Formats: sequence, C-alpha cells, structure tokens
Amino acid sequence: MMSATTVTPRELAGIRELGRGAAILHAYRAERRKLATQVATRVLALVCVLGPFAFAGILQTQSGAPADTMFGIWVHSSGYAISLVLLSFCGAWGFPVVAGVLAGDIFSCEDRFGTWKTVLTRSCRRSEVFIGKVLAAATFSVALTTLAAISTVVAGLSFVGDQPLVNLSGELMSPAACLALVLVSWLFSLLPVLAFTALAVLFSVATRNGILGVLGPSLVALAFQLLELVGTGIWVHTLLISSAFDGWHGLLTEHRFFGQLLFAIVVSALWIAICLGASWLIIRRRDFAGAPMSRRQGWGAPVRTVAALALVLALLAIAGNLGPDSVTSARLQASIQPTFNNLTLLQQRELGRTVPAGAKLNILTNCLRRAGTRRGPGDDWVCTLDVMIPQPGAVPFNSTPVTYDVSVKSNGCYKAEAPPTFVGQLLMKDAAGHNVVNPLFVIYGCFEP
Amino acid sequence: MAAVRASGLVKRYDSTCAVDRVDLVLQEGEVRGLLGPNGAGKTTLLRMLFGLVRPDAGSVELFGQPVAAFDPVPAEGVAGFVEDPSFYPYLSGRANLELLAELDGDASAHARIDEAFERVQLTPRGEDRVGGYSTGMRQRLGIAAALLRRPRLLLLDEPTSGLDPQGTRDVGALVQELAAAGIAILLSSHQIGEIEGVCDNYTVLRRGRVVWSGSAAQSRMQAPASAYALSTSDDAGAFELAATQVGMRATWSRTGQLALTTTEGSLDQYVLALGRAGIAVRLLEQLVSPLESMFFALTREPGSDPAGIHELAEEALTRR
Repeated sequence: MMSATTVTPRELAGIRELGRGAAILHAYRAERRKLATQVATRVLALVCVLGPFAFAGILQTQSGAPADTMFGIWVHSSGYAISLVLLSFCGAWGFPVVAGVLAGDIFSCEDRFGTWKTVLTRSCRRSEVFIGKVLAAATFSVALTTLAAISTVVAGLSFVGDQPLVNLSGELMSPAACLALVLVSWLFSLLPVLAFTALAVLFSVATRNGILGVLGPSLVALAFQLLELVGTGIWVHTLLISSAFDGWHGLLTEHRFFGQLLFAIVVSALWIAICLGASWLIIRRRDFAGAPMSRRQGWGAPVRTVAALALVLALLAIAGNLGPDSVTSARLQASIQPTFNNLTLLQQRELGRTVPAGAKLNILTNCLRRAGTRRGPGDDWVCTLDVMIPQPGAVPFNSTPVTYDVSVKSNGCYKAEAPPTFVGQLLMKDAAGHNVVNPLFVIYGCFEP
Repeated sequence: MAAVRASGLVKRYDSTCAVDRVDLVLQEGEVRGLLGPNGAGKTTLLRMLFGLVRPDAGSVELFGQPVAAFDPVPAEGVAGFVEDPSFYPYLSGRANLELLAELDGDASAHARIDEAFERVQLTPRGEDRVGGYSTGMRQRLGIAAALLRRPRLLLLDEPTSGLDPQGTRDVGALVQELAAAGIAILLSSHQIGEIEGVCDNYTVLRRGRVVWSGSAAQSRMQAPASAYALSTSDDAGAFELAATQVGMRATWSRTGQLALTTTEGSLDQYVLALGRAGIAVRLLEQLVSPLESMFFALTREPGSDPAGIHELAEEALTRR
C-alpha cells in the first residue's frame, strides 16, 4: 500500500479539504507550469526579448525609416521612437499573435490530448480549473508584454540613445518625459492585450481546436483592421479591441486627452467580460464525454464558431456608419496647424536660426477630401497650409503654400506627407552640418475623436 | 455510508439513451465489477459518477455528498480514470504526476510519486516523455495517478486494457491488495475473465440498463449453463452418455476435444453416470465460467445465435 497518512474527518465524509482560493491557486500553478514548459511559449519569450534588438540593429544598417508607422521617421533620432514604433506594430499584429500562442490552445490542448477527464477528476472544480487557466494565460501575456516593453526601450537606448523625441503636436519632449510616457503607453496596452487573450480563450473553448485558437486572434485583428477602413461612424470603430491600442496617443500630444484612453479601458474590460463569460458558460455546461476531439468531433465546432464570428463581423461592417463622424475638416485643421507651426519652428532652430520663445507663424489652413467632402476617415485628405511671411515692402505678407496629403484614421490620428519639392528630403543638414531628420517631411498628429 | 449511491441515472445523446434509469450502490470496501459489452453505457456511467457528464435525470452521491450537475466539487479520496488514461505527451511521466499532485493541492503527494511509480513498476521510465509510452505504460501511469490521491473509492474503466498477460495479472493483484485495504472499487470491463475472482459483486449493463446485479455466488447459482472440456478413458462413450442426460449438450471441438454445456447440477449427475458406466474422468476443465455464460446470456442481442456459448467454449479450446 501507499504510505499511511492521516485521513481527516472531512476527507472521510468525502468533503474536499481545499478552499476555493487554494484550489484556484493550485490550478493556476499547474497551468503556469504547463505553459512555461511549452516550446512555443519559450520561443515567444525569446522573440519578445531579442526581437526589438534585431529590429533596432537592422534599422541601424539602413538610411530609410518606417515612415508609415507613427513616430517612424524619428527612429534614427531618438531611441524612444523605436519603442513607440514597435508598440504600434504590436498593437496591430504582435499582441494578437502573443495572445493566440499563449491562450489559444490552453483549453483546446486538453481536448487534443484527451486530458480533460484527467484534470477534472482531481481536486479542482471546473470553475477553478477555468480560472487557473485564464490567470496563467493572463500572467504570461502580461509578462511577455512587459518583457517586450523593457526590451524595446533598452534596444532603442542602446542603438540610438535617449535623445528628445518629437511628440504628436510637433514639440520636443525631454528624455525623462519620453521614458515615462513610453512606459505608460506600454502599460495602457496591457488591457487590450488581456482582451485579445480573453478572445483567444474563447476561441480555444468554443472551437476546441488549437489551430483556430492560435490563429483566431490574429484573424480577428486583421478583420478589425479592415473594419476600421469601413464606414465613417465612430461607434463600431471605438468598440474594436484594436482601437483600444490607440488610447495612448492622447498622452503624447501637447493638450493631452484622456477620453480615448478611458474608452480603451472600458472597451477592453467589455471584451474581457464577454469573452470570458461566454467561455465559462460553454465550459460549465459541457459534457466531457468521448474520445479526444481529433478522433470524435472533427471540424463541426470550429466551423460553427468561425461562422458565428463571420456573422458578427458582417454586422459590425454593416453598422460601420453608425454614430457621429469623428473626423471633420475643422478638427483636422485645428490639429495640423499648430503641429505644423511647431515643427516648422523646430526645423528653423535646427537650421541654426533664432526663434524667439512662443513664436507663432501666421498660417491659413484648409483641409478637404479629394471627393470634396469635409468629413470621414480616409487617406484622400489634402491640407493646404498657407504660411504668411511678413514682408518689409508694400505687400505686407508673402504667402507660401504647403500642401500635404493626409491619411486620417477614425481614431483621430493622421499622417501628413508633402512632396520633397515643398518640404525637402527626409534628412537635412543642421547648423553643425550633421544629418538630422527633417521635421516637416512627415507630420504625425492626433486629435480627440 | 455507501461510497457510491446512484439513483435513476439517465443520459441521452441525441436519440440514443446511453444510460437508462440506472441504480447503483457501492458500499465502502466493496469491489464491484461493472460488466457490459461495448456501448452498454459503462463509461458514460463512470463519467457521471466523476461529474464529467451531466445526467439528464437521476442523482449521484459519493460518500453521502451529492455530485452537483454544474461545476461539481470533486470528492476527496475518489480517484480513477475513464476510457484510456490520458496525459500530456510532451511531459515526462513524473512531470505529469507532479502536475496532478499540484492540482490535488496535496503537498505530501509529491513525496509519494516515487512510491506510486514503484507500485506500478514504472520507475525506470518515470523520466521519459509520456508521448513515448505504450498503451500499457499509460495504463500503469493512470493507476499511479489514481493512487496519488490516497483513494477510498477507485473508479477504474477497463484498467487492464492494453496490458500484456503479466500486466493484467499485476493489476488484478493490485486491485485485490487495495480492496483488502478497504478501498471501494468499481471496475468496469467487457473482459469478464480479467476481473472474475477480483470482484465481490457484479452489475451487468446492456444498452444502458442494468440487466443483472448480484454477488459472485448468485451468478454461479443463476448461471444458465457453463462450458467444460472433458477428457475420459472413452470419449466416444462419454459423448453417447451425454446425449442421454437431461440439460446437457456435448459437442466435438475442431481440435477433437469433447466439450460439454451444462449447469453445475446436471454436471454432477453426469460425472456420477460416467463412473457407473466405467468411464474414467481424466480431465474436467471449466472453459466458460458461470459469470461468463450469464453475461453472455444477458447481453446477447435478441435474434443472435442461441448456441453462442458453444462458440465461447470453442474459442477457449482453440486458445489452449
């Protein structure tokens, strides 16, 4: 026989000794250990640590810059830009992959290995195993995001340095402010990361298929990117998890706005609650009968789940025009004009010209879409900025027009590009003869949607 | 207090009634065989006892504690497995047991892992990945995992499936040892020979319903007929004599062996008659046990060959 141990009266009556909290803790530890031993988790951790260094290293070998991404032109000027560029990339693609790998198979693997019956015949209830698994996936999601955040900052500072960075209003931020804002931006991305993790959990539970569980969040992220291009209304766009990753933009403007950040928190919490609630309802009602999934149920559940998801996405696409337009010419003009002003003055300073404190250009701005309308997101906006330069003669002002092609997203962020004939090349010589980024080459900005 | 008390259990899958109004009581320290052909509902019944499957009707109590329909609280001291024991193939046998010990929240279980491996003779392969285990090794690991829970009730579904004859004997011996220690055991199987002699009582299922329940002694008394191999000093004479006996049927097997199908009472009369006829009995061997013949009679599908017991005897003779 096994070694004799004391049997308590509760055990004699078949009553579980473990308290609920302790049972959850044990389930969590077991799941954490399982996740930690998986090759995919380790590879992902390695990518999170080494990826930013590889990215920063490759950038050093190139003169170009990822100008399409927010802060992209500044990657050679400030190490913090590297972190923010990678944050933008991760928000669009990286985090859904991380969530999929960590949580997309955490439930379906039990179906694949036929181990539900092994796990659920120990001392933990279904709810405790469920919470343990969710907590383990969340822990790893947060841990890997934190690793990536630290790694991007360290990589940026190592390869480029801690020079000041131009914010989304065209002003220079001190290195200390940059560091704080970069870290806070990464911090606020944790909630949407957890929302994608919850979505991956739902995929894993509903489809019982590891492939769909892992790929599902990335496919949804792709669908969200497409949905952001559909419709002009703000409501559907605001409800997408991908929009929640943009919440930090409001922290990097001259007049900070927090509404978007608040929405990002609420939307993320909503997604987490809905996905985990639905997952628990499925697990709670499920009969764990029969052979492992691969031998029994085929693709029925995955097909049903994908069909339901496609229906939801179609409905969201149809509802894309609901709600007010967040993008109007008035808002765009109000944002791009001071940003352009600040960047122009910055350019003048770098060229060695004296710019008095508080100097302000006299600019007339007119933004229109090519179709002639004055509202809605799109990449067909054109902004003409007439800079009135005072003249000593009879004509008081000499108007110098600069035209930018502007791509505006529904979240209120935009990227403006002008032909080099107007604003010069990406790089220019500063007063000391060094190559520096031309601040007016691409303008990044955001206004509150 | 009963270790298991199931009342009126019903489970339907679409139009199939997998378990149909099943009542089952397993007393503490009792070893009960749950018999039935494939698809009889044994595994579904065990799943309901474990709380893995929600009954459509009826109730289950383990040690007096009801098993809730939703999110049941696992009862302490209940262990075992249903179908083939499953583990994480990318982890070693030891790592799997450590994970399960963690789920049990029993710190002392970690210290018992070596002992559990020893009990199921898996120590040399404990550090190997389960993915490389044979079916029999996984079966042994399943038993080791059950032992870690210091069971007072073991629910074992086909525990000898995939084991070689020696492994089957080892498991039988282990079950008897655990039973001697007072552990209640519900042993499901469709191979009667493997659990006969191990169990105190039996419950026979057919198409989800209990068709017979009783002790081993009752099965001997109520068995319709058993099959025996007979070797005498005059087999031809013994064959002719058998034809004159009531309730007895004699056949020649393909191997030329004389086989008898009869009840214990008729057999007694026949052996006495052989003596009176001057025919010496050299060998009389039971080929099909009363329990086996009863199982066969109870679970035989309507319209199937009524002489099936002879086929069982023929099979047994061919195997020899």
